[in-house]
Amino acid sequence: MNHDFEDDLDRMLAALPLEEPPAGLRASILAATIYRPAFPIRLWEGWALGVISALMLWLVVLVVKGGGGAFVGSIELLSSFAWRALSSPALVLWLALGTAIAMWMIYFNTYWTAPQHISRR
Amino acid sequence: MTAPPPPATDQYLVEQTLLGNGDAFATLLDRYERAVYHLAYRTMRDAEEARDVAQESFFKAYRSLRTFKPGAKFSTWILSIAYHACCDRLNRRKRYTNEELPDRADPGPGPAEAAVARDEAARLRAAIEALPEKYRTVITLYHLQGKQYDEIAQVLGLPMGTVKTHLFRAKEHLRKVLTEVTQ
Repeated sequence: MNHDFEDDLDRMLAALPLEEPPAGLRASILAATIYRPAFPIRLWEGWALGVISALMLWLVVLVVKGGGGAFVGSIELLSSFAWRALSSPALVLWLALGTAIAMWMIYFNTYWTAPQHISRR
Repeated sequence: MTAPPPPATDQYLVEQTLLGNGDAFATLLDRYERAVYHLAYRTMRDAEEARDVAQESFFKAYRSLRTFKPGAKFSTWILSIAYHACCDRLNRRKRYTNEELPDRADPGPGPAEAAVARDEAARLRAAIEALPEKYRTVITLYHLQGKQYDEIAQVLGLPMGTVKTHLFRAKEHLRKVLTEVTQ
């Protein structure tokens, strides 16, 4: 292949206009990205709602099946378990350590510092 | 009189998008929409599919913007996403329609037709169109990126030597076709 042709080809390619994107492509991309309606709740909010709903359901089932007594009994059982667990200094220490690490990760990880929803300014 | 501010770099626009500035992403879209569509159109040879590929590419880029490495070139990144989207579609097309991947020149607007037009751009376009897929893509990226072979190699996920070989062969094909037409 001679250099003249290569130069000619480069010149022809440089002069060749790019394909014109169809009308509406830009708008459809923007609609699918920055204008896309944000999901109303975040992931952790979804989890929290799920847990609360499950607890409520459990409460309703307990009350319907065994009356107030079963409910009070279960709460007492759970609270005594929690109290016993929290009385152990080692467990409290581990919990504090875990919380501190979680806080540190949230604070320093850029993933969490960036906003979840992109808004158009 | 003060000089106009320099245009924002792609890296800055990516950072701004991640900080929630939607206009920054719109600017990136303005910069690369044509290049992405052009690559998709040249690879797919179908306007409708090229449109879908362009849309899909920007959507994927937007969703995975956090994975964009600082210091990398946005153009290379977005063209790479587009190229892989094209490959996926070509593979699917082959699987479902049993249509052969356009590795060989298929009937399109041929060089003879282009010769009638006597238009340089039309002739070149027709000649590129008639190239096998791998050469067509490499010449399209050469058109978009210039002589930045390393970036073409990154987009295609091929070694630089292979890119240079493909490019050489693509140019050879074009030389043959274009000189045949002019004779």
